[in-house]
Amino acid sequence: MRRAVFLLACLLFTVARDVRAEEVTPETPLSVVRVNVTQQPWDFARPWGKRPPYSRRAIGTILSDNRVLVTAELVANANYVEFEAAEGGQKVPATVEVVDYEANLALLKPEDNTFLKPFKPLELTHASIGDMLSVWQLESTGTLLVTKGQMTTAEVTRYPIDDSPLLVYRMTTPLQFRDSSFTLPVVKDGKLVGLIMRYDNTTNNAEILPAPVIEHFLQDAKKAPYEGFARVGIYSSPTRDPQFRRYLGLDGNIVGGIYVSDVQRDGPAATGGLEKGDVLLQVDGQAVDQDGNYKDPEYGKIALAHLFSTRHFDGDVVKCVVFRKGEKKELSITLKHRPVESYVIEPYVIDRAPKFYVLGGLVLEELSRQYLKEYGAEWKKKAPEQFVYFDRQQNELFKDGPKKVVFLNRVLPSDMTIGYEELNQLIVSKINGVAIQSLSDIPAALNKATNGLHKIEFDGEPRMIYLDAAQISANEAAFQQKYRLPALQRLN
Amino acid sequence: MILRLWPVVIALGLFVSPLRAQPNEIRKSVARINNTMQDANYRAPWLPGQLGGGSGTGWVVSADRILTNAHVVSNARFLTVEKENDPKKYIATVEHIAHDCDLAILKVQDPAFFKGTKPLALGGIPELESTVSVFGYPIGGERLSVTQGVVSRIDFRTYTHSVLDSHLTIQIDAAINSGNSGGPVLQAGKVVGVAFQGFSGDVAQNVGYMIPTPVIQHFLKDIEDGHYDRYMDMSIGIANTLNPAMRKGLGLTDDDRGVMVSSVQSAGVCAGKLEVGDVLLAIDGREIASDGMVELEGERVLMSEVAERKYLGDEVKLSILRDKKPMDVIIKFDRAWPFLMQANSYDATPPYVLFGGLLFQPLSRNLLGAYQFQNDRVNFFYDNFVTKEIYKEHPEIIVLSSILPDPINTYLTEFREGIVDEINDHKIRTLKDAADALAEKPEFYVIKFVGYARPLVLERSAVDAARERIRKRYNVLAEQNILSTESTSASR
Repeated sequence: MRRAVFLLACLLFTVARDVRAEEVTPETPLSVVRVNVTQQPWDFARPWGKRPPYSRRAIGTILSDNRVLVTAELVANANYVEFEAAEGGQKVPATVEVVDYEANLALLKPEDNTFLKPFKPLELTHASIGDMLSVWQLESTGTLLVTKGQMTTAEVTRYPIDDSPLLVYRMTTPLQFRDSSFTLPVVKDGKLVGLIMRYDNTTNNAEILPAPVIEHFLQDAKKAPYEGFARVGIYSSPTRDPQFRRYLGLDGNIVGGIYVSDVQRDGPAATGGLEKGDVLLQVDGQAVDQDGNYKDPEYGKIALAHLFSTRHFDGDVVKCVVFRKGEKKELSITLKHRPVESYVIEPYVIDRAPKFYVLGGLVLEELSRQYLKEYGAEWKKKAPEQFVYFDRQQNELFKDGPKKVVFLNRVLPSDMTIGYEELNQLIVSKINGVAIQSLSDIPAALNKATNGLHKIEFDGEPRMIYLDAAQISANEAAFQQKYRLPALQRLN
Repeated sequence: MILRLWPVVIALGLFVSPLRAQPNEIRKSVARINNTMQDANYRAPWLPGQLGGGSGTGWVVSADRILTNAHVVSNARFLTVEKENDPKKYIATVEHIAHDCDLAILKVQDPAFFKGTKPLALGGIPELESTVSVFGYPIGGERLSVTQGVVSRIDFRTYTHSVLDSHLTIQIDAAINSGNSGGPVLQAGKVVGVAFQGFSGDVAQNVGYMIPTPVIQHFLKDIEDGHYDRYMDMSIGIANTLNPAMRKGLGLTDDDRGVMVSSVQSAGVCAGKLEVGDVLLAIDGREIASDGMVELEGERVLMSEVAERKYLGDEVKLSILRDKKPMDVIIKFDRAWPFLMQANSYDATPPYVLFGGLLFQPLSRNLLGAYQFQNDRVNFFYDNFVTKEIYKEHPEIIVLSSILPDPINTYLTEFREGIVDEINDHKIRTLKDAADALAEKPEFYVIKFVGYARPLVLERSAVDAARERIRKRYNVLAEQNILSTESTSASR
C-alpha cells in the first residue's frame, strides 16, 4: 500500500520537470484543499513497534456536506491529518470519516466545521472514452495548475489491494511534478471525474479511480457500519475453445458463458448455489460473453466484476443463469462484501496493529500479505517461497482451515533459546499437542506444558523444539527489558 | 539435501593447449582431455542439442585407466587424450562416470598411450597449512602448468556438477582455473586430491577446491564390481540438541551428546526404522555430539560422513533413544536415493510426450534451466519435492512445458506451465502414466492440472486430424521419449 503511494511519488518526481504544463489557469482553486498526512505503519518484521513516521502532502477534493475525498492509500496508518488552504495556508486538523482500502477511497472531515465554508464543493460526473479531461495540481503559490489529456479507456483492473478488481479510467497526459501530487482530481466541465491512482511517467498513462466507484463508495458511506464493495466470489475461465464448449455440451444455440473454475468457500456464489464447473450464462438478464464480459449500458463490453461490485451493492440479489449438466438453471445470489478478516492470509492489515506473541524469545505472528510486503517491491520473489505460495493459493490450500497461519518469524536469542537462534519462517502447527489455528490459541495451549516443558511443533524442520516453562516465566521480565519490548504479546 | 545452492561456484571449464617435453615422471602421467560434447535439447527434445568443446586434465590412475572429473567428460560425443612428448591424439571412452562426486574413469583405445606413464599413487588427507602442487592444463598458456598452494580448509561442500550432492572437500589457495579440472594435486609424490571447482569472477580470491582421497577411493572401490552404485545417503534430517529444555524433553543428560531426527524421508533407507523425535547417540559406535559431529580418523566431521563411506549393501548401526528408551537400529543401504530431478542431469536424452502440440515433460533442474517457468506452483513443487515428499504423489512432476501452436490448441495457452494431475480420470504419477493415458481412444481427452479446476479438453478427432500437420510443421522426429526415473539418475 505504502509502496504504491511512494512509487507514485517517485514517478511524479522524475517525470518531465522539463516539460511545460499545457495550461496554467490563474483561477482561485475553489474546490480543492491541501491534505497533509503523517503516516506511521506498523513494522511487521518487529510487530511490537511502528516504523518511523513520514509525511506527505496531497490534494483533497472538496465534496458536499463538508467532506474531502482522497485515496485511501494517502491515509493508510495515518497518525495525523490536516487540511491546508491552498491560498493563505491556514491549517486545520482533520479526521478520517470513512475509509475503504479495497476501493482505495477515504472521506475526511475538518475538525473545525467552518473551515471548508468558503469553498465550492465539486459534483461528480462520469466520463466517456475520448473526453478531454483536466488534471488539477497546485503550484506552491496556491494557484491551480491544469494539465489536459484525453480519456483513452474504461476497464476493470486490479486496485492496489490485489484481490479487488474495479473500474478504472485511463488517460494520457504529461504530468509534472509538484508538491502535494497525490490523489490529484481529474475534472470535466467543472465536475469531478475521478482521482489519479497510478501514473507511469514513461508512457504518460494515468489510471483514474473513476466517478462510478466514488459514487458507490459515497452511497455506502451513508450507512453505518460501512460495508464495502460486494463481490460474487468466483474464479472463472473463458469458454472460447470450441472443443471445450462441445465437451461441456454447450450446443450451437448457446453463445457465450464463462466456466466457473472455482468458488470462494462460503462466498456469495457458493452460498447461492453456484458450483465449480457451472457455466455462467446470464447475470441480471444480461448475457455473459465467452470471456466474462457483459454489455454495460455506459461502457460497452466490460468485465462482469463491474456489474457485481460497482453497479450492485452489498445485500443486492442478482439473478444468474447457469448451464449445468446439460440444463439451464436459475440461481439467486446475494452479493456480500468479503470482510478482510475472513481470509486465512489477510491481503492487508492497515490501521490495525499486527498480532504477535513472544514466547521465550520466539517471535510468533499470523501470516498476512502485509507481512510479505515487508520484503519490498519484489516481495513475490524475495519473501519465503512457501508463504508467497500459500498467499496466492489460499482459496485452494486452506479449504478446511486453519483459521490463520501462525509462524515463527525469528528468534530473539537468549539463554532460553540456545540452539534455536537460526530458526525462522517456520509454520507453527502445535503447541503442547494443541493445534494452533490462530495466535489466540496460544495462551490456552501454554497451560498444557508437560514436565515443565513446552513442546512447539513446526510444519518444517526441525519439526519440534522444547522450551522450559519455568525458565520463561522467571526470565520474561528481564528478557522483555533487555530487548526493550513494549509488550510480549498483542492478541487483538 | 541441498537445493540450488552456491550459484557462484562454477565447475571449472575446459581449455586448449598443445604439448612439450617435461622429463618428469609425474608430468608424464598427466593427460590433457579434449571433449566434443553435445547438450540435451529440452526445448525441442526430439532434436539434438548444441555442440560444444572443451578440455580438462586427467591422470593415470592404474596401468590402463585415466581418472578425471565427471564434468570434463559429461555429454561427450568424442573424447581424445594427449600427453607430453607425444604428438598423437588418443581416442578415449568413458568407462565409469559418477555425477554425484564429479569423478570419471576413461579407457584409451590404444594401449600405446600408457607407454612411459606410471600410475600415480593415492595419499591421505593433507595437513592444514601444508603445501600441495596442482598439475594441469589451465588457461593462460599451452603447456602443462604446476601451481603450489596451501591447504586452507577441510569441510563438506556442495559439488556443483550435480548441485544436489555435498561431500568432503579440501580448499587450497593455489590458483585453480578452467582447464585444471580433473588434474591431480600432489604432495610428497602422492595424489592427495583432484582439482575440480573454484569461484567465478571476483567472489573470492585464491580459493580452489579439490576432491580429497576418501572420495576418490570411495569411487574407485564402488566401481570395482564394474558398476557405479552411487553414494549412500541416510535421507534424514537432524536437529541439534544444544538447548537444555530440548535435552530434557528428549530425555538426554547434560553430556553434549545426541541429535534429534527431524525428518525421515519415506523413500530413503531409514523409512520405517527411524522416527521423527528419535535421538541418535552413536553411529557405528562413534559418539555423535549435540551439533551432529563425530570423530573420524582424528577429524571432527559431520555424522553423514560415516554414511558417505558406505557402499550399496553395507549396514550402519545407530544407537538411538526412542521415547527416552535406548535401542539399536541397523540401517541397510539397500538402495541409493531414487529421486534426482533436482540434480543436474547429463548423458541423458530428455524425456517427453508430445500430444496435440502439447509438450509434456517431467520437471527437473535441466527443464527449469531451459524454460525459466514463472508459475509459482512449479517452483514450489520443485523446491519442496523432497522436503514435502511431493514425490509420493508425483514421482515425476509432469509439466505442460510448451505448446506448439496449432488450430487445435490455440485456446489452451492458459494451461502452459500447469502440472498434470489426471488424464481421463487416470492419476498421472509419471510420464509413462501420461503416455499410457493419451494412448487410449476416448471421445475427449480431459486433462486436469493440479490446483486448476478448469480441465483442458481435446477432441480425439481433432487430435488425430492435426497429428501429421503438427509433426510436419514442427519437424517432430518422434512424439515421445519415455525413460524410467532410474535412467535419468546421476550415474550410469
